Amino acid sequence: MKLTAPSSFIAVAFVALCLMLPFFGLPEYWLYVVSIGFYYALLASSWSLLVGYVGRISFAQAAMSGFGAYVALLTSAYLDLSPLPGIVIGALAAGAVGIVVGALTLRLHGAYLGLTTIALAEILRITATAEHQLTRGTRGYAAPPLWEGISQTEYYYVFLAVLLVSLGLMLWLLHSRIGLFFQAIREDEDGAASLGVRVTLWKVLAFALSTAFAGLAGGLYAHFIQLIAPSMMSMQEMGYVLSMAVIGGFANVIHAALGGVLLQLLLEWLRELGEWRLVFFGAVAILVLRFAPNGIFGTLDNWASRRAR
Amino acid sequence: MASQLEITKLTKNFGGLRALKGIDLSFEKGELVGLIGPNGSGKTTLLNIIGGYYSATSGQVSLDGQRCDGKNPVALSRMGIGRSFQVTKVFKRLTVLENLMVGALAHAGTSRRAAEAHAREVLERLKLSRLANEPATNLSGGQAKLLEFGRIMMLSSKVVLLDEPFGGVHPDLKRFMYDKIREWNAGGTTIILVSHDMGSIFGLCRRVVTLSYGEIIADGSPEAVRNDPAVLEAYLGDRHAA
Amino acid sequence: MTFAAIIELAVNGLITGILYALVALGIALIFGVLKIVNFAHGEFYMLGGYAGYVAVTLLGLHPAAGVVAGMAAVFLVGAAVEKTLIKPIHLGKVERADEYAIMITFALSVLLLNLMLSIFGPWPQRPQAIFSGVFEFGPVLLPGDRLAAALVGAIIILVFMAVLRWSWIGMAVRAVSQDRGAAQAFGINIDRVSTFAFAIGAALAGGAGALIGPVFNVVPQMGLVLVIKAYVIVVLGGMGSIPGAVLGALILGQVESFVPILISDPARGMAYRDAYGLVVLVLVLLVRPQGLFGRKERRA
Repeated sequence: MKLTAPSSFIAVAFVALCLMLPFFGLPEYWLYVVSIGFYYALLASSWSLLVGYVGRISFAQAAMSGFGAYVALLTSAYLDLSPLPGIVIGALAAGAVGIVVGALTLRLHGAYLGLTTIALAEILRITATAEHQLTRGTRGYAAPPLWEGISQTEYYYVFLAVLLVSLGLMLWLLHSRIGLFFQAIREDEDGAASLGVRVTLWKVLAFALSTAFAGLAGGLYAHFIQLIAPSMMSMQEMGYVLSMAVIGGFANVIHAALGGVLLQLLLEWLRELGEWRLVFFGAVAILVLRFAPNGIFGTLDNWASRRAR
Repeated sequence: MASQLEITKLTKNFGGLRALKGIDLSFEKGELVGLIGPNGSGKTTLLNIIGGYYSATSGQVSLDGQRCDGKNPVALSRMGIGRSFQVTKVFKRLTVLENLMVGALAHAGTSRRAAEAHAREVLERLKLSRLANEPATNLSGGQAKLLEFGRIMMLSSKVVLLDEPFGGVHPDLKRFMYDKIREWNAGGTTIILVSHDMGSIFGLCRRVVTLSYGEIIADGSPEAVRNDPAVLEAYLGDRHAA
Repeated sequence: MTFAAIIELAVNGLITGILYALVALGIALIFGVLKIVNFAHGEFYMLGGYAGYVAVTLLGLHPAAGVVAGMAAVFLVGAAVEKTLIKPIHLGKVERADEYAIMITFALSVLLLNLMLSIFGPWPQRPQAIFSGVFEFGPVLLPGDRLAAALVGAIIILVFMAVLRWSWIGMAVRAVSQDRGAAQAFGINIDRVSTFAFAIGAALAGGAGALIGPVFNVVPQMGLVLVIKAYVIVVLGGMGSIPGAVLGALILGQVESFVPILISDPARGMAYRDAYGLVVLVLVLLVRPQGLFGRKERRA
């Protein structure tokens, strides 16, 4: 993604706007909504890292977020830790699962890989529901706030900071040679291997990073809304994440992140429509996939670069 | 004197099919060897074993005294074996320059700047400089084949396996490719060329190895192989043999 | 364990097996002809359930006609989906075909599920069955609604297999699934065959949904669990293998019927019930992705 592309300007402008948002005197409710947008932005962008750059399809992103959340809360509770270390442990645990799954699924591709990740996601969700002595099942697990007396504004900035740092890490990685290896693997795995690219290593790393960021998002989210349930791991949630990344542009972490925030705002704005929102998102995602596969922001960039020629 | 690439009693069976029957073959450093044989002769199997896509049923392959059969393509690339594919495997959505840099960057210790400089130099040699920032998907078939060459040239491999590199290539481009292969070989790289294109084989190679039904039936200068009755018989009906 | 009880378990297993087979056949057909994994297949099943419900409960049709209506409706939806969303793949209009097929069918499943959820709400619907009441075969008691579902399901399967085996269109379908290029060279209109195959595959799932509606209720999420089981069957039998799908389905039906009796299930075991199939799926995909009858996909 070039620095002069329209989406870069939009992203920078958006970040500036977000940094200043609490000073506009909006009701706290909107800070809450945008914070959730940051949650989805982190999920969408870490998903696009795996799917867009490496070309490995996974439907387990929402499930890994929930996994990270439950691990964070349970370890904090049982080891008597404060929330922050718990969140780190949740992220690391999710990353570890990513390493294992990434390693086991090396030879799976496309739809077979997709099916496997759906099965794994559902196994995790069912486990969270079934082990209700541990997780309180569908009644939900209550979480303490991130720290005593934290305000909505503070939550907002924490989420934004985590998102920006995470995106920064992702961008740094993707612009390095590793990013090139990721894409080479996506384009032609055998060709990449024949050139000496350590395909196994990078595939596993990509999976682990994707799940670790998801777990991080989940842990933070848990302390934010302070009540989590297995439903955060459902295919419905995955549907949101996928739609956001696809509509924003799943081949680019910034586009996916923008998709996450903007669609969350849209979700909130269309609140009265209930489940029709997902019908709408699904339909838009389908249209985007069919006619503008690089997403809104990707298509915008393509259009601009074509005009520049 | 030990050879660079040594193949000893290499056998490969696919179930009941005996694709390679105990081949012994060696290549010296800097050779430019053609590997020919009718379909089903085992030459692709041999290439795939050297290139790490199949493991041998028995026997071994060694590079500079180190065993290399059974290793995966990534390890082999690091050991110094490069390979092109019959179906071009360029990275379509990466630019030509990025395509060239991947291999160089995959070897630790290469800085991005060095890789880019080397890539531009290879582009210059292949007369593709103006396409540096084009996505590889926009290349013509012939340009893509050149790019594949370029990618392997970036690796500074010891031994390069070229698998049908001239398929569907325009005669002018073919001549250009011959020059590049000779240049490449002159720089000390051992090149093993598999092709059905007899003109290329006999034009380029100083040594031709012929396989038939999994065995070597001829191994010598192009003239000798060309007139070898066993080779003619294997290729019965081929117009070059007439 | 009385003889009557065993018969009942076996028959229940057969009924479930037949319904799984209908869904699995659809998956196998679609994969065989179009080479895609249809992530919205469970939702076609669900649509059939709702179509049957609408036909019987809201339009007052006879339950048997409801099944036909269900299949017809889903057939049309399947044809429309194939023409608009899937066909572009084979026409080369889509850049990353594999990813595209996966994501667009997933997005479609999200759309369909939430569409039905929005229109009909989350509450279970239960249309009238073809036969009600209980049938007595000596000491064995079988509920009429299940019997009806199984009988009609079996008929549909047999008709489908017969058409596939002996009709011209069936031969065309088999030809395209074996070699698209060759089939086209022989003058088969692969576009039409593709649309037809997808629509039939969808209709089979829809038929299963319409049949099961009166027995187990129609809810928007009914496709989610079932489609995983269907994929277990299809992957186990070998993607694209028709006999594998039928055999696997019948076996799974019996297994699901008899295993709970043999294993003493604590309450937690029941909670994990849906996960067993998932575990099997993961194991098969990791250990032997081509299944029992499928061909190993070659790369490079």
